Amino acid sequence: MIEVINLSKSFGDKHAVRDINFTINSGEVVGFLGPNGAGKTTTMNIITGYLSATAGTVKVHGIDVLEDPIAAKRYIGYLPEHPPLYMDMTVNEYLSFAYDLKRVKGISKKKHINEICDSVSITHVRDRMVKNLSKGYKQRVGLAMSLIGNPDVLILDEPTVGLDPIQIIEIRNVIKELGRDRTVILSSHILPEVQAICERVLVINNGVIVANDTPENLSASISGEHKLSVRIAGPADAVQNTLRACEGIRTADMSLEHEDGSCEFVVEADPNVDVRKPMFFALAKAGYPILMLKPLDMSLEDIFLKLTTEEN
Amino acid sequence: MLAIFKRDFRSYFTSPIGYVFIAVFLLVSNLFFYMINVLNMYSDLSALFSNLLFVLMFIIPLLTMRLLSEEMKQRTDQMLLTAPVKIVDIVVGKFLAAFSVFLIGIALTFTWPLIVTMFGTPAVYTIIGNYVALIFAIATFISIGLFISSLTESQIIAAIVSFCVFLGIYFMSALGSALDSPIISKVLNWFSIFSRYSNFTLGIFSLADIVYYISVTVVFLFLTTRVIEKKRWA
Repeated sequence: MIEVINLSKSFGDKHAVRDINFTINSGEVVGFLGPNGAGKTTTMNIITGYLSATAGTVKVHGIDVLEDPIAAKRYIGYLPEHPPLYMDMTVNEYLSFAYDLKRVKGISKKKHINEICDSVSITHVRDRMVKNLSKGYKQRVGLAMSLIGNPDVLILDEPTVGLDPIQIIEIRNVIKELGRDRTVILSSHILPEVQAICERVLVINNGVIVANDTPENLSASISGEHKLSVRIAGPADAVQNTLRACEGIRTADMSLEHEDGSCEFVVEADPNVDVRKPMFFALAKAGYPILMLKPLDMSLEDIFLKLTTEEN
Repeated sequence: MLAIFKRDFRSYFTSPIGYVFIAVFLLVSNLFFYMINVLNMYSDLSALFSNLLFVLMFIIPLLTMRLLSEEMKQRTDQMLLTAPVKIVDIVVGKFLAAFSVFLIGIALTFTWPLIVTMFGTPAVYTIIGNYVALIFAIATFISIGLFISSLTESQIIAAIVSFCVFLGIYFMSALGSALDSPIISKVLNWFSIFSRYSNFTLGIFSLADIVYYISVTVVFLFLTTRVIEKKRWA
């Protein structure tokens, strides 16, 4: 669906994007992840034809964006970071303008706009001026604009930035829903968001792709080891000895001591060994109850930090 | 093109700018009409038309200042430039929107030939010639204003610079007729929108000058598309 080949973009001396390559298949939901200024927006702007690349090619549906921009743009719906809204129009007027601008054919205007308004739940604000809407609704109107013409590819630049937590969840659900029958690319610097929505993650840092995988694989390939966090009631030294004596546990270090006489340990098991049961029986036998037990998987956040700092 | 034209034309009348432009234009031009033609009981409108271009020079920047600068500032240009539309369509649509507002103003001055016909015998062809010349001369002003608006994100700067450029063109023609050197004066007059315009107010309908106005308009519309295109390559 989207092919990016040896893409570079520089602004004067600054290289925003350096020689990146990736392919996005039809129907995928892909997240661009990276710190601010990593080149996410630049890449998106190039795919949508807003900026031109210094070198390299972008193909949408096999059409080169540079050679036939009009044809390529028909397949793309783009929501930039700042939704491009005309403040002096009502939502209806704005969406009707978007319909005319994109020269949508084959769908009646009224029906099409009605459907889109329903899918992003803005039907009840359709007669209001865009400037009077809240940030969350503005974002939705922008999303509605990008949906006009039923594009196969939806490109969303930081769609949840500046929204309150409830709105974020709502927008995420809308995007998930939209991703069922479309190709979606979204960028974010918020990791749980990408983890929640995307099937694949491209981690971009300093204009270079540093990782390209599913969130689960990324998590597994980098963390490699299995750690647990346990809170146990009992004297710290005695508990530690019990843990260390337990089979399958490689290390057990105390991380926190609570005032109620319990303490927390980080337990690292031998590879491919589930130590939870032996640990429970060992502790039960010694008379130290487990108050809490949780796996310490490396979150995408840790992976992200690891990837982006290793690069430096 | 039609979508952009419709949106921009509407936006003149959802904000005060369209009304202010037409009101100021009608107020000042009718004041001139009253002083030149009504008070003197003078049926020739040419003297009035020679002042009109000067009046419009001050208020055309009102129409053109926000056409592209506001799009860049509000980042709505991202919507236009990522839609399946040619840049030329965007530029021409915006030009036509401003031009149409100006034409509404002009249409409201058709009261003058009417009044003059009621009380005297006007030179019909001179009046038609004057209207045609004014319309084409203003087309060049609007295209220059649109071009300047594509250079900056600030509508205030766009307005002031446009006004200064128009003033410069005005002084160029004044300088052209004041200088002794026939070559320099000829060159300056060739470039001046104002000196060409004075032919029409003298009752000469010169097709060459109309072609000149159209050419300048096209050149500036083309330059505007180049400025927008160049931003992509920045």
